[in-house]
Amino acid sequence: MTNTKDDKPFTETGISGKFMRIEPSYTMRSRYIIGEVHKVRRLTQKVREYIIVLKEEIDPDPGQFAMLWVPGVGEIPLSFADYTSKTVKFVISRVGAVTTYIHQNIGEGSKILLRGPLGKGFTIYPSRNCLLVGGGYGLAPLHYLAKKLSTKGCRLKILLGFKNSTDIFYVDEFRSISNTFISSEDGEEEFRGTVVELMKNILEEESFAIVYACGREEMLVKIARECAARNVKLEVSLERIIKCGLGVCGSCSIEPLGLRVCRDGPVFDGGILLRLEDLSRRSNEKICMNH
Amino acid sequence: MHEPLTDADDECVSNDKNSLPDLTIFISDLFLRNPTVLASGILGGSYGQLKRVEEAGAGALTTKTITKDPRTGYINPVFVDLGYGYLNAIGLRNPGVEQFSIELSKAKKDIMIPIIASVGGTSIEEFTYVAEKMVESGSDAIELNLSCPHVGGYGLDIGSDVKLTKEIIKEVKSISDKPLLVKISLFHSNKDIIEKFISAGLNGITAINTLKALAIDINSLSPVLSNILGGLSGPCIKPVTLAVIYEIYREFPDIPIIGVGGVEKAEDAIEMILAGASAVGIGSAIVRRDLEVFTEVTRGIERFMLENGFKSIKELIGYIHRR
Repeated sequence: MTNTKDDKPFTETGISGKFMRIEPSYTMRSRYIIGEVHKVRRLTQKVREYIIVLKEEIDPDPGQFAMLWVPGVGEIPLSFADYTSKTVKFVISRVGAVTTYIHQNIGEGSKILLRGPLGKGFTIYPSRNCLLVGGGYGLAPLHYLAKKLSTKGCRLKILLGFKNSTDIFYVDEFRSISNTFISSEDGEEEFRGTVVELMKNILEEESFAIVYACGREEMLVKIARECAARNVKLEVSLERIIKCGLGVCGSCSIEPLGLRVCRDGPVFDGGILLRLEDLSRRSNEKICMNH
Repeated sequence: MHEPLTDADDECVSNDKNSLPDLTIFISDLFLRNPTVLASGILGGSYGQLKRVEEAGAGALTTKTITKDPRTGYINPVFVDLGYGYLNAIGLRNPGVEQFSIELSKAKKDIMIPIIASVGGTSIEEFTYVAEKMVESGSDAIELNLSCPHVGGYGLDIGSDVKLTKEIIKEVKSISDKPLLVKISLFHSNKDIIEKFISAGLNGITAINTLKALAIDINSLSPVLSNILGGLSGPCIKPVTLAVIYEIYREFPDIPIIGVGGVEKAEDAIEMILAGASAVGIGSAIVRRDLEVFTEVTRGIERFMLENGFKSIKELIGYIHRR
């Protein structure tokens, strides 16, 4: 994460000031900002895209997230699917109470509150050969990443995997940025099988400086093994139950490393996936349905 | 006050092994390498989190408050940054004592600094049950949470009943010889109450827990926290913490105090120590300072001691009472 220069400095006085590493950005990012829903687009039966215009500029890095608060209902973490001058795109999949409420009640003109950008995003290495691998609903942050990478002179290949052809979304958006290949397990698309199998084929033919991946953790672990075997750098975006979003409550820590998804991540070096004990704790916890 | 050291003196100091400031301190039987303690409720819910805070430089660790049964806590939002402080109602989210015992046993094999188990409950039986399990799993001390302001039936709901609290202290004290700390709220800051707690057998006081508070968002015309009420921490409560520490130390100078509530910088920690704290708890400061806060505060205290000619942190404890 980069601390932008225009963040207001957190002024300090006194003797201990000399020893402090000041993190001004967090004094700004943890406050709520008001936004208005500009447009809602149905992507699949369960997935919608929300375009929100904020009152303030926030300039997130790809891979960072925001906490979207619906007063009286709940607050959920969302990765940025896109961002340009105060306009943010979120891809919201209906998975629990808050997202169901959003699908049913938040429409054009609705006011929302969010805090962010939070956490650490993807590392961008200019002018490199990059492979982006996304599965299902988890591909949203890769879209914003792909856009940023292409402006930095990177050559991209994008692989998107879906369970069924009816789950497919954002393909045109990715295709407008770079070469995009689709896999679906029902065989209706160009590649029949999982996106990991598709990735293996691609890695046989071509070499990449870095692989960026988002999606279910079981899938990410397989990708991590493939990348480790081929000695390719990998960055992954992980999910856990995020509560405070600021790195203090510990709800989202990954064990046994004690890394906090909301603060140390959500983007991590892919190697950590090979050291985890609590694989997909998220999916085993009932409270994830709060989302 | 002592004469400040010059740069030349600084060099002399670094050449003389015997005159480096001593930041070590005992809280009852607990030996702390420095006076910074991870406050309860912040991280401290797993082996990995405890380990990271040890690596970040803390002198001791307090676990999240552990209850008999697992608690999922409240739905979001659970934490609000107010600018001048923080409001939280996480709802004592914890994996329950059975699951946490496994984490604690693992932590004790690997972590060198003291681990204080924060214990919560709704009855004497629950407190003693959890405390017993924590001691079995290796915790170096017990801290009773009698002051969480926002979970019905727990914390302050128990702690407001002084007679019951006294019984809990007595019972928990009887199960082991580990140091017993009590985390108090502003409500307990009264000579008679503290005296009763001391007579029941406590070995130290952690002061203070968050203050019951409310944040309202005028844009949505609603409270921010899902639980509506929460606990206030951070810079805005520091003067309150200082007053509580000052009064406890004035009346009971032999009872070690861990000062919690508003420590973000070394200065805050020094102020608490001057008021009478032997150590300081650090929690929500992690929002702005991240885990480096522990090392930054410790280094700042050391620098202050060098500049002002203090050799041991013990000279600073309660200094303002002796002026």
